[in-house]
Amino acid sequence: MNEIAIKVDQVSKIFGGLTAVNQVNLEIPQKTIYSIIGPNGAGKTTLFNCISGFYVPEKGKILYFGQEIQGLSTDLIASVGISRTYQNIRLFSNLTALENIMIGLHPKFRSNWVDAIVHSPRYLREDKETKQEAIRLLNFVGLAGYGDYLAFNLPYGVQRRLEIGRALANQPRILLLDEPTAGMNMQETQSTTEFIKKLRDDLGITIILIEHDMQVVMGISDRISVLDYGTKIAEGNAAEVQSNPKVIEAYLGPGGAALAEKFQKQRRSNVKSH
Amino acid sequence: MNRQEFQKFSQHGLVFAIIMIFLVLVDFQTMFATVISKILGTNVLRGGLPEVQYMVIFLVLYSLWMGWFISRKEENKSRRIIMTLVASLTAGVVVGLFGLILNSLIQSGTDVRRYLAALSPESMKLFLLNLDGLGPLALLGVFTVSGLLGGVLSIILQSPSVGKWPKTIKTGISSTWQKFTGSLPPFIRKNAKYLAYLVLGIVIIVLPTRWGSYNNFVTGLVGLYIILGIGLNIIVGLSGQLVLGFAAFFAMGAYSMALLNAPLPHGLMWGFWPALLVGVLMAVVAAILLGLPMMRLRGDYLAIVTLGFGEIIRILLKSDLLSDFSGGPRGIQDIKGPTIFGLPFNNDVQFTYLIIAGVILAIFVYNRLENSRTGRAWLAIKEDAIAARATGINVQRNKLLALCIGAAFAGLAGAFFAARNQFTGPNDHTLMVSINILSIVIVGGMNSIPGIILGAFTLKGLPEILREMENYRLLVFGGLLVFMMIARPEGLWPAKRPQLEKKIKPDTRDGDTPGKGDKNE
Repeated sequence: MNEIAIKVDQVSKIFGGLTAVNQVNLEIPQKTIYSIIGPNGAGKTTLFNCISGFYVPEKGKILYFGQEIQGLSTDLIASVGISRTYQNIRLFSNLTALENIMIGLHPKFRSNWVDAIVHSPRYLREDKETKQEAIRLLNFVGLAGYGDYLAFNLPYGVQRRLEIGRALANQPRILLLDEPTAGMNMQETQSTTEFIKKLRDDLGITIILIEHDMQVVMGISDRISVLDYGTKIAEGNAAEVQSNPKVIEAYLGPGGAALAEKFQKQRRSNVKSH
Repeated sequence: MNRQEFQKFSQHGLVFAIIMIFLVLVDFQTMFATVISKILGTNVLRGGLPEVQYMVIFLVLYSLWMGWFISRKEENKSRRIIMTLVASLTAGVVVGLFGLILNSLIQSGTDVRRYLAALSPESMKLFLLNLDGLGPLALLGVFTVSGLLGGVLSIILQSPSVGKWPKTIKTGISSTWQKFTGSLPPFIRKNAKYLAYLVLGIVIIVLPTRWGSYNNFVTGLVGLYIILGIGLNIIVGLSGQLVLGFAAFFAMGAYSMALLNAPLPHGLMWGFWPALLVGVLMAVVAAILLGLPMMRLRGDYLAIVTLGFGEIIRILLKSDLLSDFSGGPRGIQDIKGPTIFGLPFNNDVQFTYLIIAGVILAIFVYNRLENSRTGRAWLAIKEDAIAARATGINVQRNKLLALCIGAAFAGLAGAFFAARNQFTGPNDHTLMVSINILSIVIVGGMNSIPGIILGAFTLKGLPEILREMENYRLLVFGGLLVFMMIARPEGLWPAKRPQLEKKIKPDTRDGDTPGKGDKNE
């Protein structure tokens, strides 16, 4: 068994009277693709925001390789090695694609404003490294030639790619992807899925994924957790989760399990009759 | 042409007529005629009126523009002619009627100046082209004829054969320019940039000694506003904090210089350079004190808080409470100028050099910062503070840093300002100063040094040179803003993001995986 990269221990996040995340436990092993699914409003993004430090959970602990990170500031968590993308793309839209990646490289370097003004050796070295690293990342995410376009001028799929590129820049060990294939066509979804696999296999990054496209989720996830109304209702691999009656009910409503079974039987008999 | 169309066309003329009437009510036409007369080489005495032919030129130009503008609203040629004719006639009739009213006012001897301060009987007469009763008729004629002429001109100039001219001229110029640069010896071509700097340097050194103290005064003022504009641009343009109390930092610099280097009220004569340093430091301290509590604010709230801060500083300096310390409303006089190696360095030429040096320093620092790690962090914060934080940027620290560096420039400019004027008082640091600086940044083009220089010249230099316009500064300014919003919404000289991808040579090290990504295993 791999080392545990992220351990979410009894985490609760409460907004006023609403418990958005309710005593959730997760153990996410290193170098896996771990999906979190659930109906709209289940608390998936809230959980992401807790891990990346936007929210401080009221209760519970979040451990990053055994080290407590809940309550740390967002920028500190980012520089420790947890990067993320967003449900609605949040690029720096009036800057070029390359500059977006260069900003992603920010935590890797140390030179400050005095270095910049006097062009100290440290600045010159780091500046050169920043530029080359940014170009390399740009090529890695498959956006060579897009570098000088302003981010908001880029096509939608490319923007998503660029966001992943920016998240990869500070060499994260954990990457949180919030609906990376939302709004994409089949082909784009396919290539993004391949790309996410490549991140796990080639770079050894642990990926936590929120996704609504079940084909993507079932296709690439090593493990899946299902949230509903802030609580975890199921965990397991794709097959286990798919057949879990609680999960089906969460998606289809009470009585959903029976309904689903009926549909499946119907489908089988249809297939047979053809 | 049916009635509806007739109404539509005449409405266009009516709009122009109403604009003209409005301009006359504030006596704008006389100012314009004066400027035209000045351009054509006849100086008009201060307070005097220009000769009548310049007024005719102004009216003709105005109606030519009107005809040109209206004619472009149609496609069909004959309709364009009819349209301009109808519109110009309407404008002529309306302006003529207005002229009749003016004439009767002159005849009855009513003093309009009780209601419209700018409109003297003399300038009213001048608007009627000194023709009295025939004036309205002449106005009708001028408007109709030159309006129609403008329409015809626009048709001719936009016809396909003529329409190509601008392009032909452009390509012609660029090809001759290329030929010219091609014919230069390689040494000059290679070092063209440095040669241009050399020429610019010589001009900067020679000009202040040649063109008199008034021009030096204007140049100095523009230079100070360039420094201020660059300072504010670091705060507003780079880190995205809308600060409306920038004059407060300016006041910090100016008052530090005044208190430490003037005989009254404290008699501390520290000398220019230490006082300059303290001025910059005081501005930075003020920025930290203001910045710490305001880091959590954004947008409108930040603007209001900083606006309040600027006013608090000014009112404090003005108050009786501090009048023993800061001179109160009367301000501080006899501020000493700088010395270099014991020699006085404070005539107008030398001060211009000093300010130009300050401008060069500001541009240098700005350029170095903008494309550095820090500058990119600022831009990221401006674009999306939350995403910036999640990419590992310490938002608060970087915002505070931007505020401090911007304030330091304001302190520098303030110290120069106080020493150059040998005086500073609360009225040098009003809200209008902050707004002026912000306008320079916005009108010129955010994050663009040439834009800020251009903005400072347009908004601070031009009004000084065109003294006739003084009373119409806000009118011209409003017009400029409207023009800008339509024609150049990103500023007169907008900034471009650096195009880096092609410039960076790819690393020779192998692999297309990012860095040491697998180091963590």
